[in-house]
Amino acid sequence: MDVSDSILDHLRHVAALPDLTGTRYELESEIGRGGLGVVYAARDRQLDRRVALKVLDSALAGEAQLIARLEHPAIVPIYETGTLPDGRAFYAMKLVAGARLDRYAAGPHSLGERLRVVRRVGEALAFAHTRGVIHRDLKPQNVMVGEFGEVYVMDWGVEAVAGTPAFRAPDARMDARSDIYALGALLESVLPANAPPALRAIGAKAMQADPAARYPDAAALLVDIGRFQDGLAVEAWSEPAWHRLRRFGSRNAVLLWLLAAYAGVKLLLFFLRNI
Amino acid sequence: MDPDTAIGGPHGHFPSTQLSLLEAAGSGGALPNEALERVTALYWKPVYRFIRVKFGKNNEDAKDLTQAFFATALERDFFARFDAAKASFRTYLRMAVERFAATQHAAANRQKRGGDIEFEPIGGQAVTGESPEQVFEREWQRQLFALALDDLRAHSEANGKQFQFEVFAAYDLADCARPSYADLAARHGISETAVTNHLAWARRMLRQFVNERLRGVTAGARDLRGEMRRLWM
Repeated sequence: MDVSDSILDHLRHVAALPDLTGTRYELESEIGRGGLGVVYAARDRQLDRRVALKVLDSALAGEAQLIARLEHPAIVPIYETGTLPDGRAFYAMKLVAGARLDRYAAGPHSLGERLRVVRRVGEALAFAHTRGVIHRDLKPQNVMVGEFGEVYVMDWGVEAVAGTPAFRAPDARMDARSDIYALGALLESVLPANAPPALRAIGAKAMQADPAARYPDAAALLVDIGRFQDGLAVEAWSEPAWHRLRRFGSRNAVLLWLLAAYAGVKLLLFFLRNI
Repeated sequence: MDPDTAIGGPHGHFPSTQLSLLEAAGSGGALPNEALERVTALYWKPVYRFIRVKFGKNNEDAKDLTQAFFATALERDFFARFDAAKASFRTYLRMAVERFAATQHAAANRQKRGGDIEFEPIGGQAVTGESPEQVFEREWQRQLFALALDDLRAHSEANGKQFQFEVFAAYDLADCARPSYADLAARHGISETAVTNHLAWARRMLRQFVNERLRGVTAGARDLRGEMRRLWM
């Protein structure tokens, strides 16, 4: 049978579409694809709502179930896992309306808002790590910021995931520290050009080539971001003396103003007494 | 450039569950004839097209070189030397063809040295803008689907599903404008839902046959998964 280029392209496309016969889902459109699976928008006929449907290699079905057990406000909830008639595995999850973090970060958001998103991502990672799950492919494209500001980490990795170059740790074996590296890269990617050096240092520490030189866990990185936001010294940066003074000044501005005012009044009284 | 060869067909039909190359080879390392036929059925045309585009060979020379490559590969137990840990079988085979054809090409040129040697233009590359490697890959995909379509047709005939195949062919194998589901339903006297179901069945079976063919020419689960990912994603 002769197969022209256009027929070949068409067949590759239609034969790859998930066969949803016998399921409660009706296919709408493709919304994304990665190394291990394709995500479609679909309609759940039973509950009359739209969902995101990820279709992946049948060998990864066990991983989908593992991910489904991660219940956290910053992890996209999985509604159902199953097997398609053609043998491929799928899971249905919340269809998040919002923007991917890479697009969101291009907007005019404050530093505080950017750090809030990174902290939510870090909290999701910390939680998953306590459950023995690592992401393996954390990057801004796998984080959604919803229309109410909610943050969702998606596309939790499976064994075969190798990561995305700019966010992938140079580790021989992927583990939780590899996710810390990716979190540091993610922090770097959302910081504005004039970001304070303390924040850059946090990103750099998380991205150390030697896993042992990184933060021991996601919580430690979050603590350092918290220290920065509270005006305290961060673990990642040995700041110069002038910077320490400036930070002290900005943290204790009211006290310094009061002291200056007190000294001014005292000085004024001294001069008045000697006139 | 003269037209391509028709060699490579008609396509044989293989059992629905094919062994991977490593399974077929067993402990001895040599591939049985059935596995070699599978490899030849899928790779003959991609190899032939690759040689034509890469070395600017005419139809007859490219056919001879392709034939010589497979004959030599069998003679020297070339397929048994494949190491699945280093590359996919497809990449291994393409690189072997490249080495083999380059050697033959150089030898032919040495014989002709001193005479008027004229190289033919690399037609495929000039026409499509694709590299020889891309041509090889594209032709491999084309042949894979052509074989799977043959399997699907044979399966439909053997199971009384010719009508389903007919609906599928009218829609998915239409080279120009595709009819609407409503047109197809009216033409075949069935509902649009039936059209959807017939197409879903045929596509599911086609995917299965493509994967079966792939299984038969890959070296185990890892190689197969890599090829499936490459093809379907």
